[in-house]
Amino acid sequence: MSSTSQKHKDFVAEPMGEKTVMALAGIGQVLGTRLEEKGFDKAYVVLGQFLVLKKDEELFRDWLKDTCMANSKQQNDCFSCLKEWCDAFL
Amino acid sequence: MPVLVEDPALLSKSRLRSDFVAHNVKLHLKHIDHRNAAEFSSDEEEDVQDEAEKEENPEEAELPDPSGLTDDDLKAALLRLGFKPGPIVASTRALYQKKLSRLRRSNGCNLLKGAEKVLYSASEEEEEEEEEEEEEENGEDDDAESGVEEDKQEAAEQTDEAQPGSSQRGDFFYPQCFLPSSGLRARASRNKEPGLAWNSGNALKSSEQSRPRRSQIPAGISRASSVDHCPGLGSGVQAGSQTVAADASSSFSSQMESRGSLSTSSNTVREFNGSDVQEPGSGSSRLDTPVVDSSSMKNRSVYCTPGTSPQERRMKPPREPVIDTFKDLLPAETTPTGIYATRRRPIKGAAGRPVQYAYPDTPFSPTTLERREVERRLVPIHIRLLFFVVMACILYLVYALV
Repeated sequence: MSSTSQKHKDFVAEPMGEKTVMALAGIGQVLGTRLEEKGFDKAYVVLGQFLVLKKDEELFRDWLKDTCMANSKQQNDCFSCLKEWCDAFL
Repeated sequence: MPVLVEDPALLSKSRLRSDFVAHNVKLHLKHIDHRNAAEFSSDEEEDVQDEAEKEENPEEAELPDPSGLTDDDLKAALLRLGFKPGPIVASTRALYQKKLSRLRRSNGCNLLKGAEKVLYSASEEEEEEEEEEEEEENGEDDDAESGVEEDKQEAAEQTDEAQPGSSQRGDFFYPQCFLPSSGLRARASRNKEPGLAWNSGNALKSSEQSRPRRSQIPAGISRASSVDHCPGLGSGVQAGSQTVAADASSSFSSQMESRGSLSTSSNTVREFNGSDVQEPGSGSSRLDTPVVDSSSMKNRSVYCTPGTSPQERRMKPPREPVIDTFKDLLPAETTPTGIYATRRRPIKGAAGRPVQYAYPDTPFSPTTLERREVERRLVPIHIRLLFFVVMACILYLVYALV
């Protein structure tokens, strides 16, 4: 993660509001669809999971891997995205 | 409930799902857990099944304990292992079960490996690191972990060494801290020398007060002023002061090379003293003195004369007691203390009266500070000469012997 993606910047730049789960960095079409199937249709639902895991990186990444089979980079992107958002807005 | 219990084994996927949807999600999660995964073949990959897998996987893959535990027990178990879990709910339970099994595994390895690991695995992060390593490379677990631990041990040892060995390392630190202090000491000793000379010379000035003035007055000006000023003092003020000035000038000439500012400043000190003697009350004259002295003593006389100078000149033989402007304050002190006290007083008065003299102890411009530093570190001329002579002798001896 030498630099953050545009998606990451966009997500971290403002409150997430009603953004879909696909607005999260690291969550694209495929993972987004999987997450929506599991009921995580909004970014804030994922945020809830993130928070209920106490922002623990390992646990969250495990969860993401189990839930939507995200690879390591996607896990990392999503985690850092939510982490930074929390640092900024929580 | 009974329907559900029967269903999973018998019904098709679609039917099962519809039943789940009909019932509460939690309900079916629980039931699937308890029913156990054997009934669901690995073929079935549906949303429901995925959710079920979350809790099933731990059961199948790992020790029976984590899955069988209640939420509270699971939490307690995690806490016992040094991991602080968050809320354990349906969506997080599986993760924490995994975590628990991983922690247990790592702990088992630790126990096998020895007590060292326990020490170093105390913190959560380290444990997690180790666990990750274990996950990624199960075969190489021991090596990697041991490497990590060794590193940690080394780090710990280093820190341990650093504390007791501080005395050794302190040597490194000391020089830095020590140089200025040594400089201060040297400076203090140097100050004492001229002070003694002054005492013998009859004008007593504390080294403390001489310092500020040294720093205050640039070397060039002060030198010139000292040269011009000595005769002025002698003519204008006192025989004693002349002698003092002479001694000072002689001693200064020897010291000039090493520290020009010191000697010059000491001269200026005398100037101030003289000025104090002559003009006790006037603060404005002091402002002028450093500059004015070099020009001429007449200015001084002009400044000094109006108020107290005549009286002071009479008083000179008794010197301080009479000279002091603070006669009211001093007399009580002078009589009991004696000579030294009396001699100091004028200095105190000089230092204390004007605001100028109150602050000289405080640091001045960076350049002056630098100059002081340099001066402190310079080897005194005596030592240089001595060293030169010694070296010459040695060389001569060597030459003679050869």
